[in-house]
Amino acid sequence: MTKKIHLISTVLSLPLLALAACTPSTPSASTSPAAEKQSVGVVLDTGGENDKSFNEYTIKGAKAGADAAGLGFAYVASAGSSDYEKNIETQISEGADLIVTVGFLMGDATAAMAKKYPDTKFVIIDYAYAPGAEGVDPYTTELKNVTSLMFAEDQAGYLAGVLAGCVSEAGKVATVSGMEIPPVQRYVQGFQAGAKSVNPSIVTLNQYIPDFNDPATGKSVGQSFISQGADIIFAVGGNTGNGGLLAAKEAGKMGIGVDVDQYLTYPEVKDSLLTSATKNIDVATTNAIQEFAAGQLKPGIELATIASGGVGLAPYHDAESKVSQECKAKVTSAQAAIKADPKITGVK
Amino acid sequence: MEEITGFLKLALITATPIALGAYAGILSERAGVVNIAIEGMMLTGALVAQLTAMYLYAPLQAAGIPAAEIASLCLGVIAGILAGALLGGLHSITSIRFKADQIISGTVINLLAWGMTGWIYQRWMTATAPTAPGTFPRIPIPGLRQIPVLGDLLFNHQPIVYTMLLLTGVIHYVLFYTPWGLHVRSVGEHPRAADTVGINVERVRYISTIVGGAIAGLAGVWLTLEQVGSFTLRMSAGRGFIALAAMIFGRWTPLGAFGTSLLFGLGTALQIRAASLASASAGLAMIPTQLYQAIPYLLTIIVLAGFGGKATPPAASGQPYEK
Repeated sequence: MTKKIHLISTVLSLPLLALAACTPSTPSASTSPAAEKQSVGVVLDTGGENDKSFNEYTIKGAKAGADAAGLGFAYVASAGSSDYEKNIETQISEGADLIVTVGFLMGDATAAMAKKYPDTKFVIIDYAYAPGAEGVDPYTTELKNVTSLMFAEDQAGYLAGVLAGCVSEAGKVATVSGMEIPPVQRYVQGFQAGAKSVNPSIVTLNQYIPDFNDPATGKSVGQSFISQGADIIFAVGGNTGNGGLLAAKEAGKMGIGVDVDQYLTYPEVKDSLLTSATKNIDVATTNAIQEFAAGQLKPGIELATIASGGVGLAPYHDAESKVSQECKAKVTSAQAAIKADPKITGVK
Repeated sequence: MEEITGFLKLALITATPIALGAYAGILSERAGVVNIAIEGMMLTGALVAQLTAMYLYAPLQAAGIPAAEIASLCLGVIAGILAGALLGGLHSITSIRFKADQIISGTVINLLAWGMTGWIYQRWMTATAPTAPGTFPRIPIPGLRQIPVLGDLLFNHQPIVYTMLLLTGVIHYVLFYTPWGLHVRSVGEHPRAADTVGINVERVRYISTIVGGAIAGLAGVWLTLEQVGSFTLRMSAGRGFIALAAMIFGRWTPLGAFGTSLLFGLGTALQIRAASLASASAGLAMIPTQLYQAIPYLLTIIVLAGFGGKATPPAASGQPYEK
């Protein structure tokens, strides 16, 4: 069955690829005849194009960026991790000048292909290559054609913290966190700093759970925090964190989602969702593609911040009326404060 | 006091899927079939229960059935149990009929469950999925609920917790005080002797393994329909394997497995409450969170090495019976 679907998707994507391949030969109506139309090829992870998260938002951003810059556009979803390199090569042979890949699982495949095709540009979302053994920056040596789009999670977390600290009546807010890895830690630190910035006496609780897919434990942790008097739960742990949001909903407390606007992606808890601390993957991808089109895409790590519109808070949706004007104003001024001094989040 | 009751209650709740998984293991191993596929059976039970409840909720509502929520949840429970039993059946066919290596069969079922649940989840339970009915409400037992302390600890739970408590007694009674239980144990200890007195070895093994699978399925139902209310990939998160450990420390007895499951529950409850303990005193805050996370596993090792003595599995466990 999977094979069949794979076949169907391949067949369906063929015209797309063909289209992408044709585009360079299409005569560009006027302007400089030398500049042939460039093309963007997106290679998705196994989550697929409707994953309500990284893959979906990458496509959305890439399409918008390519359309705005008048570039060709094609994408392919990977059926398994063994397909990454093959899919990247296919996109390149079909004429892509810029390859966009998604997530840390594709890190190795992207690096390998970037070395093999030094003339093609690569953008990878949410994965940074560590310096080599002697502290050599890989982006200056073998990965000169790669740009990593990273996100300042601490800034989004800080805004969530400001909101939580302001909305909390109990003076106690909590984070239900996933694995203790840098992006999660940055969210948590930023959140706690933000909460303390509006209410210095606020109590912040946090619990890391060494698993991103254990909502049952996440819910228990959330319930435990609520029984201790926390009235806002910030969920920073994928599905584990979603358990925390569920605990908040069932107890009549409020939750804050993470990464994408969870009002849209986790509608079961939308009634009790204040907002979500988001990485605007689509915006960051669009920006990167426009830089590419303008010939300004630089190798290295490109950090999406509040200033660049790459991270922030999702709309309040139904919570619009529950959040006081005062708290909204505090979030707005915190945005300005972070733009002025990114160090206030407490993360380097 | 309230704090302690809350803590013990949390331990009992988190012990529920582990104890059920351990009972699943006990039933099949007592009959001589090693079952390491509890994790996969749990995961499948969780998915099928959620899928069923999800897709029946709206039609039941439309049909004007009163309490459509509870009705769809109950049908979900039945479906989850059947799914577990089905995998139990698969495991028994490979182990008994085809005399395959039971560890391999169990591994294959785990992998199958991971793959299948992932695919079904992506295909039918993401973007276009209908609204789920949520989770079972708590059902306080009238009368008993009013007992101080114990009432809140034991008699104010969701249904699967009660079922687990009941099953502890039922399985203990069936295994040790009924002829059927004697058959199961004799088939697991010395199938040839059992065969010579006219016990149908294969039949006993089939039934035990399938019933065990059903109970593992129920453990999975706890995850979706009693705890979380939605399915996520690999959400059983290793509970099926912890259950195996609980079965071994419990010496393949339901009461022992219940006790060790509670111990794991306590460890998990400690882990869950770690942050609050840390905020309560500066001394406790010195303990790194990783240590709390390791508690269930440390307990495992301590129990095994310190208080365990020799763990002897049923003699014929894992061996296909050749007439």
